[in-house]
Amino acid sequence: MAGRLLSHALTRVWPSFVSLAIGFLTAMASWVVLCALLICTLLVFTLPLLPPLMIAVRKLIALDRWRVSRYTGREVTERYQELSGPFLGRIVTVLSDPATRRDLLWLLVHPVASLPLSVLSIGLPGAAVQNLITSLIWWLVPGGLKSSFGLPVDSWPASALNLGIALTAALVSCLVLPWVATGEAYLARALLSPPKASMAQRVAELTATRAAALEAHGAELRRIERDLHDGTQNRLVAVVMMLGIAERGLRRDPASALPLVLKAQNAASDAVAELRDVVRSIHPPVLEDRGLDGAIDALAARSSIPCTVDVESLRRLPAAVEAAAYFVVAEALTNAAKHSGADHISVRLTIRGDLLTVEVVDDGHGGADEQGGTGLNGIRRRVEAFDGHTELSSPEGGPTVLRAVLPTGA
Amino acid sequence: MRIMIAEDDALLREGLVLLLGTEGFEVTAAVDNAEDLLTAVDADPPDVIVVDVRMPPTFTDEGLRAAVEARRRHPRLAVLVLSAYVEDSYAGELLAGAGTGGGVGYLLKERVGKVADFLDSLHRVAAGGAAMDPEVVAQLLVRRKADDPIRTLTPREREVLSLMAEGHSNTTIGELLVIGAGAVHKHIGNIFTKLDLPSTDGAGHRRVQAVLAYLRA
Repeated sequence: MAGRLLSHALTRVWPSFVSLAIGFLTAMASWVVLCALLICTLLVFTLPLLPPLMIAVRKLIALDRWRVSRYTGREVTERYQELSGPFLGRIVTVLSDPATRRDLLWLLVHPVASLPLSVLSIGLPGAAVQNLITSLIWWLVPGGLKSSFGLPVDSWPASALNLGIALTAALVSCLVLPWVATGEAYLARALLSPPKASMAQRVAELTATRAAALEAHGAELRRIERDLHDGTQNRLVAVVMMLGIAERGLRRDPASALPLVLKAQNAASDAVAELRDVVRSIHPPVLEDRGLDGAIDALAARSSIPCTVDVESLRRLPAAVEAAAYFVVAEALTNAAKHSGADHISVRLTIRGDLLTVEVVDDGHGGADEQGGTGLNGIRRRVEAFDGHTELSSPEGGPTVLRAVLPTGA
Repeated sequence: MRIMIAEDDALLREGLVLLLGTEGFEVTAAVDNAEDLLTAVDADPPDVIVVDVRMPPTFTDEGLRAAVEARRRHPRLAVLVLSAYVEDSYAGELLAGAGTGGGVGYLLKERVGKVADFLDSLHRVAAGGAAMDPEVVAQLLVRRKADDPIRTLTPREREVLSLMAEGHSNTTIGELLVIGAGAVHKHIGNIFTKLDLPSTDGAGHRRVQAVLAYLRA
């Protein structure tokens, strides 16, 4: 009997006690945070502190989520929206995130529900222990002691009665604590978990991203088709046409044919070059071998204008995205070499959240015109195929800044 | 003969101007988009327009639509459409939208390289006839059902049908197949009977229209 009680105490009661004790701490902390949030919101000038405060709230709640997960043996998860971008954007993200509303609800309900339960559940075993000690050591203290329930313990019969009370309290604790802790944990879990409908949301989300991926794939195919059609195919038609005219010329006046043959030759060379570009634009082999950063380093090393590369926190991205980023840098470097007259170019690649930013800056004379060259047009088309966007700033006198932002799709 | 060209690729445009110039045609305008073509045609209608199907801004079929529109405004204008690839549905659209006026042609761009054939097509179109790319006709002949009357045609009659669909006159068909005028006439008579087509005379694009309409049905 005593052994079963002991093992029950160890396997059920102790974890319940720990869970309630941590719950007590998080409940206390949530009072503090709630007050801080209120003050922060009411004193309008402290509003900028709101996002960091919400981050703190998330940390606190992460602790409680861990506690509940551990106690109930089932993972309690939350999906917060990613915080990135400008300050105001982050505030809007935090405030509009449904997870934030759940956090706030937890801040309000958790202390009210958990604090009394925790106080009772920690107090009861505490009292049992205290009274047990009182019953054993009352005779050491002159005039006796008082039990935690106010009973004077100054004789052995009183001590025995008090010991009975202590054991009863311990017994009640052992019986009640697991139930209380379980109830409390399930309440907390209900507060902390995203609503059940989130599976439907998740499916909708996946459907949307899948559709976007297919759309990007389609746009990429259209781009390749257009590159082949407007470039290679037209060049080859030109070859055929020039040779046709030359053939007619040869019959009439052989001397007139030579310039046409040369033109046909040039057009054929162009066709080969454009075909090579199209093939490389589909997937540059160097990306496979050396990754995006290595491939960009190689591009920079080949550049006729000195070029520095700054790559920050780059990870492996989907092949198509890497190819697009590579293409942007390659085209930008070619453009700069042809038109900018720059002494130096710097290339920067950064990933923030799920956005890859490619920035190419040259110190040339500026005045780059998006309508003028096919290069910039090609960049824009390529980036738009991935639902990204391009910005070009090139005032007369320079510098020229080309920035392409690509969703990494991961 | 006065010709206008609409082609967005600079090299091809120059090539066409050079080709037609050396062959003694008068190129009155060479533009790189559909809108400019319509303006130029309105200002000074030529005998023939040579139009690329895909041009800015959308790079789909604005050349084709401009050709149909130009024909609507100037019914006697002859239209020769060039394209990097052929679609029989485009040919149908072109013929349907062309009305009964001047000639209509639809050729792959690279046919320009066979200059003599290209010039022949151009003359045919300018004279009110038709020039359909052999590729268009081949596309239409490929997908035939098992019980199609076309399967009852002899190989020779199929050849004659293809050449008719391309827009050649009886005389040219005879020359191309090295057969006499009487034989050509007999073949054509057989074809029209076997396919149950209403008999149309001459080599005008109405015959092409009838044959293509039959093939597309």
